[in-house]
Amino acid sequence: MTAILVKALADLRRRRVQAAVIFLTVLLAMATGTMALTLMSQTRDPYQAAFEAQKGAHLQVEFKASTDPQLLATTPAIIGASAAGGPYPATSLQFKHGGQSFYVQTFGRDSAGGDVEVLNVTAGHWPRANDEIVLTRSFAELNNVSIGDTIKVVSVPAQSTLKVVGEVVDIDEGSADLSSQHAWVLKGAVPALTTPGLSTYLMDYRFPADPTSSQLQGYVDRLRASLPPGSITASINYLLIRSIFNITNQIITGVLSAFSVFALAATIAIMATLVTGIVISAFREIGIMKAVGFTPAGVIGVFALQVIIPALAACLIGIPAGTILSQPLLANSSHALGLPYMPSFSLGLDLLLLVGGLVVVSLAATLPALRAGLLKPITAITIATAPRGRSGGWLRRQAARLRLPQPIVLGIGDAFARPLRAALTLVTVLLGVATVVVAIGLPRSFQLINNSETGAGNYQVVINRSNALPDAEVMRILNAQPETARVVALDGENIAVPGISDPVNSRIFRGDSSKLAYMVIAGRWFSGPGEVLAPAGFLHDTHLKIGDTFTGSLNGQALQLRVVGEVYDISNLGHELFMDYATLPPNTPNSDPSTYWVTLRPGSDLNAYIQRVAGTQPDLLDVHPNNTSLIGPVKIIDSVLLVLAVVLFLIGVGGIFNTLLLNTRERIQDTATLKAVGMSPRQVIVMVAASAGLLALVAGLMAMPVGLYLHHLLNDVVSTSTGNDTPPSVYDVFNLFELMAIPLLGVAVAIVASLLPGRWAARTNVIEVLHAE
Amino acid sequence: MDRRAFGKKRWWELGYEMSELVRLTDITKVYQGGVTGALNGVSLAIEEGEFTAIMGPSGSGKSTLLNLVAGLDRPSSGSVTVAGSDLGRLSETGLARFRRDRIGFVFQFFHLLPNLTALENVLIPARLKSRVSAESAGRALMSRLGIGEVADRYPSRLSGGQQQRVAVARALINQPTLLLADEPTGALDTKSGDQVMALFAELHQEGQTIVLVTHDPKLATRYAARVISMLDGRVIDDARLETTERKPADVIRVRSEEPSR
Repeated sequence: MTAILVKALADLRRRRVQAAVIFLTVLLAMATGTMALTLMSQTRDPYQAAFEAQKGAHLQVEFKASTDPQLLATTPAIIGASAAGGPYPATSLQFKHGGQSFYVQTFGRDSAGGDVEVLNVTAGHWPRANDEIVLTRSFAELNNVSIGDTIKVVSVPAQSTLKVVGEVVDIDEGSADLSSQHAWVLKGAVPALTTPGLSTYLMDYRFPADPTSSQLQGYVDRLRASLPPGSITASINYLLIRSIFNITNQIITGVLSAFSVFALAATIAIMATLVTGIVISAFREIGIMKAVGFTPAGVIGVFALQVIIPALAACLIGIPAGTILSQPLLANSSHALGLPYMPSFSLGLDLLLLVGGLVVVSLAATLPALRAGLLKPITAITIATAPRGRSGGWLRRQAARLRLPQPIVLGIGDAFARPLRAALTLVTVLLGVATVVVAIGLPRSFQLINNSETGAGNYQVVINRSNALPDAEVMRILNAQPETARVVALDGENIAVPGISDPVNSRIFRGDSSKLAYMVIAGRWFSGPGEVLAPAGFLHDTHLKIGDTFTGSLNGQALQLRVVGEVYDISNLGHELFMDYATLPPNTPNSDPSTYWVTLRPGSDLNAYIQRVAGTQPDLLDVHPNNTSLIGPVKIIDSVLLVLAVVLFLIGVGGIFNTLLLNTRERIQDTATLKAVGMSPRQVIVMVAASAGLLALVAGLMAMPVGLYLHHLLNDVVSTSTGNDTPPSVYDVFNLFELMAIPLLGVAVAIVASLLPGRWAARTNVIEVLHAE
Repeated sequence: MDRRAFGKKRWWELGYEMSELVRLTDITKVYQGGVTGALNGVSLAIEEGEFTAIMGPSGSGKSTLLNLVAGLDRPSSGSVTVAGSDLGRLSETGLARFRRDRIGFVFQFFHLLPNLTALENVLIPARLKSRVSAESAGRALMSRLGIGEVADRYPSRLSGGQQQRVAVARALINQPTLLLADEPTGALDTKSGDQVMALFAELHQEGQTIVLVTHDPKLATRYAARVISMLDGRVIDDARLETTERKPADVIRVRSEEPSR
């Protein structure tokens, strides 16, 4: 055993560069894999733990303000809830802070505790007076609201002020950048803050066991049946919240897992190439080893250890590194849950990764080394060198026919002289280029989706109206501005739809909404009353398709609706309706739009417009530029993709470098001969570069369709997770020039990677090599 | 000066003056870590059209001398001039071009590229010079050397003698000024070795300047017109053969040193 280790270490010292390549590639692969698995194992539990700790509500239902509170108090028994909270009076509150207006659904509740939906006060205290309010921590952080700040309520004529006294984490809410938020005041404060017609009651329900989606729907149906028609205005359940909470981590984990598998596959290919190359170059050495007494297993051990040792070192660094790198994402999750952040990882998982990684590395190293073990000693000594690869002759002849310079002809032939090595190298480069394609394409796709969701380029100004200011006045103000080209007003209603337990949030547009450029995947935008569009999630869950009609219900009134199109929208994970204002029944209460999207004429001064319009009603109008920036989760995913692209790219470069190193060392005698007959050092470098360039070109051309397919697939995964189909335009983010340039860029990188092995080859000492016989 | 007669027109019958092709001036070569030099103050000249054999035991410096003349190595001191070019002034690229254009080198172990056919091996120097129409010249040369029928075979399918003739063809494809051979028959059987040496003799008859390294005195005196003997990095004997009878006793020594004991 000692002799095996001594020989392996001596060979490792001799092959320092290749050991470094193995170390780096395994390090990168293990780090990304560890990140993925740590996130997967650690993000599932904290949410559940926080949900249990806060006695989260499985179901939250909003009722019309006219519903009898005593009747509401009997609802827990109707549906078999084990605990309940409420009824809490609620109102839609609009307030101003820092020059901006905000809308929050505000609940009257006298304490944070209770039997269900315990609110975790993370800073400050619960309101003690009617002029105090608590906000969610997520909302406060996103909008820079601090404890002690005063907010001005503008949704009621009295325009009172409230002092922010605390921040809470509500387990039944998503993050502020993805979902609307709640606020809390004392019960006694609610009447003064309530706009007539905009108040409701909220009930929280908790059940003995975690109910399924169909069970939850059954509860809502039972409530609906036992209460006066139209009593239920909205409902939301813990499954949806958990999905929204986890969606970012799920996407990141999925992407990391997939690409860490790529990284591992590429690393295995590099290791297999390296070991086969070492065996080939050490034929005589193998013969001598066997002649002096190494057993076949010992010979295999010597070669395998040359890979296992640097790989082990890489695992010992890469696994902790991956664990550490996953912590910011875990901290983000803990923070959102209101949990104190504790570095979390699973030692068992890390050990499993170490063992698993070493097993994979050992197999990747041992299988190619079998050849060395099985070689007969006399054969190895007599032949002294492995049979040279003869493949590549066809390529060389074609290159010669094209009258390419001789060094390029020889280099092209060398690229595929050993088909297995070339194939493994192609795999590593292919994975690298494919990942780069995804890393370029997916953020662009996200940007397109973001543009659609935010109306980027279609409207420049967003105006929110206080309920104290009539809609007609707002329209008068806007139409009076010369820069105003178009105004689309937006109202939101919750419409009950057969087949969906919760009322569906519906966007009601007034004005030419077809110019808002939502992504219509199929069918068309609505052109009149009664026509609706919906995302795929809605259509799937209601078993509707384009052309179908159904009857919705709003405030107890039936709405005859016809599906005319499928639209892309991530709100509420695909449960959303889009329709024209004229669809609403006449005299629908509180249906005046409260949001206005303004398109300015070309050349307009945006800031001047905003200042002028805001100045007309500073307290009752919130006027700001359209915010088209990417939301936080998308930025995180983009960053992760960038890191993965760099990782896979480096592994691909390592693969090319490793192959060229093996090739140049294996062909050192040929290189010396070529130099002896007149090949200049520069021509040697060109020969090596030609080899690299061809491998990279072939791999790059193969990688493009693979990368585009992955881009396609990942878009579908993301779209499906948000309840949507993918719009065709989201796939189509590369132009023809880029489709050609990316493989060529890969060729350029490969040629740069070839310079070092090329220079080493160019410096071959002819005499030492050719006369060493 | 009498020369051996081989039945072909001798270069001196053409009325040419013998001109100096190679000049080594006070050459010393010391390898790193070497206590004694591989070459110690060697000076000699080789004239155009000469067939020179450099002879000596292993370690005498004969191969080192050949490598310096070929531009494969640089002396530690002294100068090497070949065909008017001071090799010391040439860069690595310049030396590569010099070897490509002026030198044909034949190695003991052939050193053919195994993944190229015989013809492709022959054509390498020509193609490095971007001679696009070299193929026909290559085939003609191979035919002349008696290996035309193996042009499309790979080296592993050739006998030792055939491989060495392919190597000779490769060395000649660019019509070098100087043909250098380092133990060209060392890896061959007697018959193949004789065939290769006969080839060299034929080339010399046609005017090719040849410098051949060998440790075999019989081979040296049988084919070469001049025999330079080396020992311990020095020239100890430099003899031109004056008669057609190749007996050592008839050798007229130009220079002689008693080997140090």
